[in-house]
Amino acid sequence: MSQGNPGNMGLCIACFLRDITGFFVGGSTNQAAVAYIRPEIVGIILGALAAALVTREFRPRGGSQPVVRFVLGFIFMVGALIFLGCTVRAWLRLGGGDLSALWGIAGIVAGVIIGVVFLKRGFNLGRAKAVARPLGWLLPAVAVVLLVFALVSAYGAKPGWATVTPENARAVVPGQVVVAPDGDGLKVLKPADGNGDPTASIVDGAVVADDGTVLADAGKVAATKPMPGGKRAALWVSLIAGLAIGVVAQRSRFCSIGGIRDAILVRRYDLLFGVIGLLIGATVVNLMLGQYVVGFEGQPVAHNDALGSFAAMTVATFAAVLLGGCPFRQVIMGAEGDADSFVAVVGMLVGAGATHFYNLASSPLGLAENAWPALGVMAAILVAVALAGSRKTA
Amino acid sequence: MKELDVRGLSCPMPLMHTKKAIDGDPAEILVLADSGTAKANVVALLQDSGYTVTIAEDASEYRITGVRR
Repeated sequence: MSQGNPGNMGLCIACFLRDITGFFVGGSTNQAAVAYIRPEIVGIILGALAAALVTREFRPRGGSQPVVRFVLGFIFMVGALIFLGCTVRAWLRLGGGDLSALWGIAGIVAGVIIGVVFLKRGFNLGRAKAVARPLGWLLPAVAVVLLVFALVSAYGAKPGWATVTPENARAVVPGQVVVAPDGDGLKVLKPADGNGDPTASIVDGAVVADDGTVLADAGKVAATKPMPGGKRAALWVSLIAGLAIGVVAQRSRFCSIGGIRDAILVRRYDLLFGVIGLLIGATVVNLMLGQYVVGFEGQPVAHNDALGSFAAMTVATFAAVLLGGCPFRQVIMGAEGDADSFVAVVGMLVGAGATHFYNLASSPLGLAENAWPALGVMAAILVAVALAGSRKTA
Repeated sequence: MKELDVRGLSCPMPLMHTKKAIDGDPAEILVLADSGTAKANVVALLQDSGYTVTIAEDASEYRITGVRR
């Protein structure tokens, strides 16, 4: 994050997958602010793939209720975007001093406890089996395709249908007035005519339309922060960091929900140490970089709706427990040849598009209008899945 | 010998089943697993529970044998 990525996002799987969705369909899902192929994701997949190949842990497998896994991935993502972060970022937000993350972490604990109740009742999605080798290569293949698109967009010409949030672009009036840095000053990206040429300009720091109307005064422009999708580290830095993280995660089996789950369920604390290590590491790094700001209000890409954060993370975590691992784990397992995890990741990508299409995602201002009904519906689906999915396996 | 098949199961089922099996305190236990994660979790649990562990591996599975120390 010190390299330019959004505040306290560092490594948010939900956010990064959402940005990738934004690249492909952002034009039709109101995702202009969050559209960028995050090279971290590509790196993580390829790093985990390499580690799995070297240790002979790459094993194509699948067939354990893929449709249900798609739905669970979808629900996870919607919940995460209502909280504004996945189960990994909740810890990173706390590591940045963002105390509003505590509501989400309380939700993680609640989601795990609910999930454990169903696991104890015998919930599982059934056994995966060995599958044809190509099915194991689905997620790595997607990573390569993403890398090609990322490189083409960065160094060549971005495809016309794709959306990329301009680097460090700031939505002064979301969807209507957007500016981006230009040398020492600013330039207008929106409003623009059909050819993409701006129809307004910067006059003394304010955005003024060609007909003389002041669209946003200088104070408003100055107070606007860059959109999440436009904040990024250099492509190669992100990619190499992702590769390293992928290797470490594959070897350590890091899981952001497994720690609490295993501690409660089987009194195993290995994974919990991973999460605690992440929290301590993030705190130390943020302190060293002078980015550590304690408080509930005004935290980067976060809101302070306690009940909303709690409920959204409870729903997301419950879904993740039913999936058998957090979204980070799903990405890693997909890279190890798990076709079911690939399907869950696709569910997350589609879920991200749907969240933005239906305006369910939260903003720093708070929850969206329909967030609560959506959480209610998703909670009901999860309970139904959990009740239906109990079977004997031993 | 207690035998257990956790192949194809998502987390945390391999761990749950193994934990349940060793609650019965078998002198010897064989666990079949097919993912690196399940293997690592089961091996760590067995070792911490007082078993000496050996692993045989082929293309499709790990055969994890624990003998009570």
